[in-house]
Amino acid sequence: MRIDYKLNDKFDVGLIFSSILLLCIGLLAIYSSTLHNPHANGNFHKQVIWGIGAIIGFFIIYTLPTNIFKAIAIPSYLFSIFLLIVVLLIGKRVYGAKSWLGLEGIGFQPSEFAKLGTILALSYFLSNSNTDLDSFKDILISLIIGLFPVGLIMIEPDLGTSFVFLGMVLILLYWKGISTFGLFVVLSPGIVAISSLFGPYYLAGSLVAVTICLFLFRKDIFSSGSIFALNIAAGFFTKYVYEILSQHQQTRIKSFINPWADPLGAGYNAIQAKVAVGSGGLFGKGFLSGNQTQLQFIPEQWTDFIFCVIGEEFGFIGTSIVLALFFYLLLRIFKIATTTKDEFLSLTIIGILSVYFIHLLINIGMVVGIMPVIGIPLPFMSYGGSSLVLDFLMLSVVANVHRTRKNYT
Amino acid sequence: MQNFGSGRKTIVFIIFNATFAIIFLRLFQMQILEYQFFNDKSISNSIKAIEQIPLRGVFFDRNMNIVVDNVPAYTIRITPALYNSKLDSLIETVIGEKPGYIKRILKANRIYSRFIPIRIKRGIDFKAVSWLEENAENLPGVDYIVEMQRDYPAGIRGSHIFGYTKEISPKLLEKYKDLYKPGDYIGYTGIEKAYENILRGTKGYNYVLVDSRRREIGKFKDGKDDIPSIKGNDLVLTIDEDVQRVAEEQLKGYTGAAVAIEPKTGEVIAMASAPDFDLSEFSYVTSHEYLEKLYTDPKKPFFNRATQSANPPGSTFKIMEAICALDNHIIDTNFTVTCSGGQTFYGRYFKCDARHGTLNVIHGIEHSCNVFFYNLIYKIGMVKWHQYANLFGFGKDTHIDIDDEVKGLIPSEQYYVKRYGENWPKSIMASLGIGQGEVNVTPIQLAQYAALIANDGTTYTPHLVRGYLTNDTKKLVPFSFKQINLGINKNVFNIVKEGMYLVVNGSGTAAGIKSKDIVIAGKTGTAQNPHGKDHAWFICFAPYKDPKIAIAVLVENVGFGATYAAPIAKKMVEAYLEKDKFKKEEQDQKKTFSNTLIGANFEN
Repeated sequence: MRIDYKLNDKFDVGLIFSSILLLCIGLLAIYSSTLHNPHANGNFHKQVIWGIGAIIGFFIIYTLPTNIFKAIAIPSYLFSIFLLIVVLLIGKRVYGAKSWLGLEGIGFQPSEFAKLGTILALSYFLSNSNTDLDSFKDILISLIIGLFPVGLIMIEPDLGTSFVFLGMVLILLYWKGISTFGLFVVLSPGIVAISSLFGPYYLAGSLVAVTICLFLFRKDIFSSGSIFALNIAAGFFTKYVYEILSQHQQTRIKSFINPWADPLGAGYNAIQAKVAVGSGGLFGKGFLSGNQTQLQFIPEQWTDFIFCVIGEEFGFIGTSIVLALFFYLLLRIFKIATTTKDEFLSLTIIGILSVYFIHLLINIGMVVGIMPVIGIPLPFMSYGGSSLVLDFLMLSVVANVHRTRKNYT
Repeated sequence: MQNFGSGRKTIVFIIFNATFAIIFLRLFQMQILEYQFFNDKSISNSIKAIEQIPLRGVFFDRNMNIVVDNVPAYTIRITPALYNSKLDSLIETVIGEKPGYIKRILKANRIYSRFIPIRIKRGIDFKAVSWLEENAENLPGVDYIVEMQRDYPAGIRGSHIFGYTKEISPKLLEKYKDLYKPGDYIGYTGIEKAYENILRGTKGYNYVLVDSRRREIGKFKDGKDDIPSIKGNDLVLTIDEDVQRVAEEQLKGYTGAAVAIEPKTGEVIAMASAPDFDLSEFSYVTSHEYLEKLYTDPKKPFFNRATQSANPPGSTFKIMEAICALDNHIIDTNFTVTCSGGQTFYGRYFKCDARHGTLNVIHGIEHSCNVFFYNLIYKIGMVKWHQYANLFGFGKDTHIDIDDEVKGLIPSEQYYVKRYGENWPKSIMASLGIGQGEVNVTPIQLAQYAALIANDGTTYTPHLVRGYLTNDTKKLVPFSFKQINLGINKNVFNIVKEGMYLVVNGSGTAAGIKSKDIVIAGKTGTAQNPHGKDHAWFICFAPYKDPKIAIAVLVENVGFGATYAAPIAKKMVEAYLEKDKFKKEEQDQKKTFSNTLIGANFEN
C-alpha cells in the first residue's frame, strides 16, 4: 500500500490510465468505422502510431522541470502565431479550411498547438502581479492575446477551433476574477457580432440590450460611450467581414448558424448521428455490427462523429463508460488546478481543462442534438494526429504540475 | 489569487457537473427511452425496396395459340448522377447508335431525379452485354438489367389490334402516380391499352441493404420479407391467328382493311389494316428512324383503317335498303322494277351497269341493279332509310373494345335541309340508294352489318378479347358484351340472304369466288372516290346455311369490289372454315421453301 501511495503521490495513475483507456476505446471505434471504407482503412494503424508517439511525448514533457512552462510561455505563443500565419500562406486546404501544414508527409494543424501556446501566454499575462483585470487596458491586452490567434483561425476558416479559443479565454478571465462589468465588456461585443449574422433585427435587439445593461451598470459616460461604440463596431464590422468572405465561407457560417439550412450537408449528419446513437439502445448493436456505422451513413465518422460509433455499437453502457471516464479525468484535472498554489500553473491547467471541456461539450452535444454541428474532435478519441498529440501534451503539463505540486507550497 | 476557493470555483464546479448530467440524461433519453423510434429509423435508413416489375399478361388467340408473348432482353441503363458524359461516344459505338444518341435520351429524361437509372436502349445484343460486364469498373453509372419485352411468335403483325407498350409519359405519370413510376411501361395503343389493368399485374418488392450511398450490399433478412410480384393476367383474344395472318398477307401492298366477325357472338376473328407496321420495333426503345418513317409515310400506317376510315359503302348498302323495304311491307318478292340501263330522277339521269330487265328484290341484289334500288329508296323515303341505317349501327360507334373509332356519316333529311336549304335536290337520294354520296361507313361497321344479316338481326357488340385467364388455374373468366337485337322478321333476312347467295353462287357480281366446299353468300360494293380509283368493298358470310363467319373487306383505290375485295374475303373464309386443308397447304408451301434452301446450300 505504501508503494502505491508513493507512486500515486508522484504520478497521477488516474490521469494516464483514464486517458489511455479513452484512446483505446477511440481506436476500437476508428477500427469499426473505417473497416469498410477503402479510403480510410489505414487510419487505425496511423492512429495507433500517433497514440504511441503521443504517450511518449507525454512522458518526455512529464519529466521536464515545471518552471520551463513559464519560461516558454511567450516564445511558444509567438511561434504559434508564426505557424498560423504560415499555414494561411502555404497551408493545405482540407474540408474547405486552410488549416494544415505538411511536414515530411505528416500533416499537422498549427491551430491545435496554438491552443497550448495561447493558454500559456494568457496565463502568464494574467498571473503577472501587475495585471489588474479591473483596468480597461489589461482586459484589452488579455483579449488581444487570446483573440489574435482566433482572428487568424477564423480566416482559415475553422469556426469550431475559434469557438474553443473564445470559450477558453472567457473561462480563464473568469477564473482570474474578472468583475461582472469586465465580463460584460468582454462578452457583449461577441454577442453583438454573432447577433449581427442573424440579421438586422437581431443586431438592433442586441444593441438595445447592451444599452440597457450599460444603464444598469451606472458607469461614467465616457466608459459607457466607448463600450457602446465598441459594440456597434463589432456589429457592423462582422457584417462587413461576412460580406467580403467567399461564397464557400459564407455557406459554412450560414450552416453553422442554422444547420437545417443545409439538410443534406451538416443537417443530414446531425440527423444520422442521432439515429446512430439512439438506435444503439442499452447494449448497443455490437462491435462492427452497427448498420449506421458500417454502412457509412455519416461521412468521416472516425473524426468528429466518433461518439456515434460508440453509441451505436456499445449502446448506453458504452456511452456511459466514456462519459464517466471523461468525468473522472476532468474532475482530476480540476482538483489539481485548485490545489496548485502557483497562479500561473493553476491558470494554465484551468485553460487546458477548459479546452477539453469545450471540445467534449460541443462534440458530444452535437452528436446528441443539443448543440449545432460544429466540427471539432473529441479529445483522446477522434482520429487525427495533431489533436491526439496535443491532448496528451496538455495532459502531461497537468501531470507534470501534479508531480511537483509540493514544491510550490 | 484573490478568488481562490470563492464562489467562482463553486459556479465552475456546478456548471461542470450540470453539463455532464445533461449529456448523461440526454443519452439516457435517446438510447433507452426513445430507442424504438431511432431503431426504426435506423432500419428503414439502410433498407431499400427494389421494385419487381411483374410479367405482363400474354395474348392467346381463340384456339389458345400464343400470339403475343414475353421474352427476356437486356436493357442498358445510365444513372445520370454517377455517369460521366465522356463515355457517350464509346457506349454509342458498343450499342450501335449514332453520336448524340445518349445525350438526347438523357436530356429527354432530365425531369426525373438524377439518381434514377434511365433506360438507354432495350434489346441490346449479348456482345454488348459482355462488354459492359467486362468493363463495369470503368463505366460508372452504367449498368444493364434483364427485362421482359414483347414477342410476336405467331407470325402475325396485329399492329393495330395488339398495340404496343411504351414508357409512361410524364403527363400520364401525373395522373396515375400510385400505379406507375418513371420508366414503367404502359399499354399505349390497341388491346395493350384497353386491357392495361388486366395485363399489368402487381408490382413486387425485394428488400436489400444499402450503404449511405445507396449501393446495394446484400439482401435484407435473406429476402424473407420480400413481396413477390404478381403476373398480369393472360388474355384470350377472339381472333384466329390463321385468319388474321391471311388477312394481313392478302392486304399486303394495298391500302385497306379486313374485318371478320363471328355473327352469333360478335367476336372479331380477324382485323387487319394495311399498311401496317412491325410491333416488335416497339419492344425496344423505338428507333427514331423507324418512327420517322411511320409518321411521314403518306399512307399513314398508324391509322387503323378498320375502325378509323369512313368511305361510302357502295352497293353493299343495298341489302339494308332491301331489309328496310321488306320489313316495312313497302315491297315483297313480287315487287319488280324494269331496268333499261338507267333512269331519270328529279331531272338527273342515273346509270346502271347493264340492262337488267325486269327483276325483283332477290335478283336486284344478285345483279346489284342500281335502277332497282334508285326506285326503292324513293319508295322508302329518307326517314325510314336513315332509321334503318342507324339501326344497323351506321353513323355511330360500334363500341369495339379498342378505342379510336370514327362514327362515319348517315345523312338525314335535316342534314340536307341544313346544307342545301328546304328545296334540296331530291336527286341526291338516288345516289344514297346505291350507297354513294355523303354516306360514310367504316369496315368494322360493315362487318357488324354482315354479321347482323348472317345471324338474322342479332349479334353482340364486336370485341377482340373473350376474357382473361386466372393465374392459378388458368380458368377463363369471360367478359360480357352487350347483345344487339334488331327485332326484324327472320323471313326478311331469308329473302336478302337468298339474293346474297346468288351474288356468289348464281350469276351475280361475285360469282368468281364461288367455292364448291363452302357456300359463301356476299355482296360486292364499289365506292366512287373523288381522289382516285374506286374503293372496292366486299361483305359476305359463310357457310350460307349456318353462318360462322361474317366479313367486310375494303381495298382502297383499286376498282371493282368483286375483283379485289371478294378474293381476300374468300381466303379468310377458307382459313377459318377449312382449317385442316388450309394448314396442309401452308405446310406444303413451307416444305417447298425449305427444300429450295437446302438445294441452295448444296450448290454452294
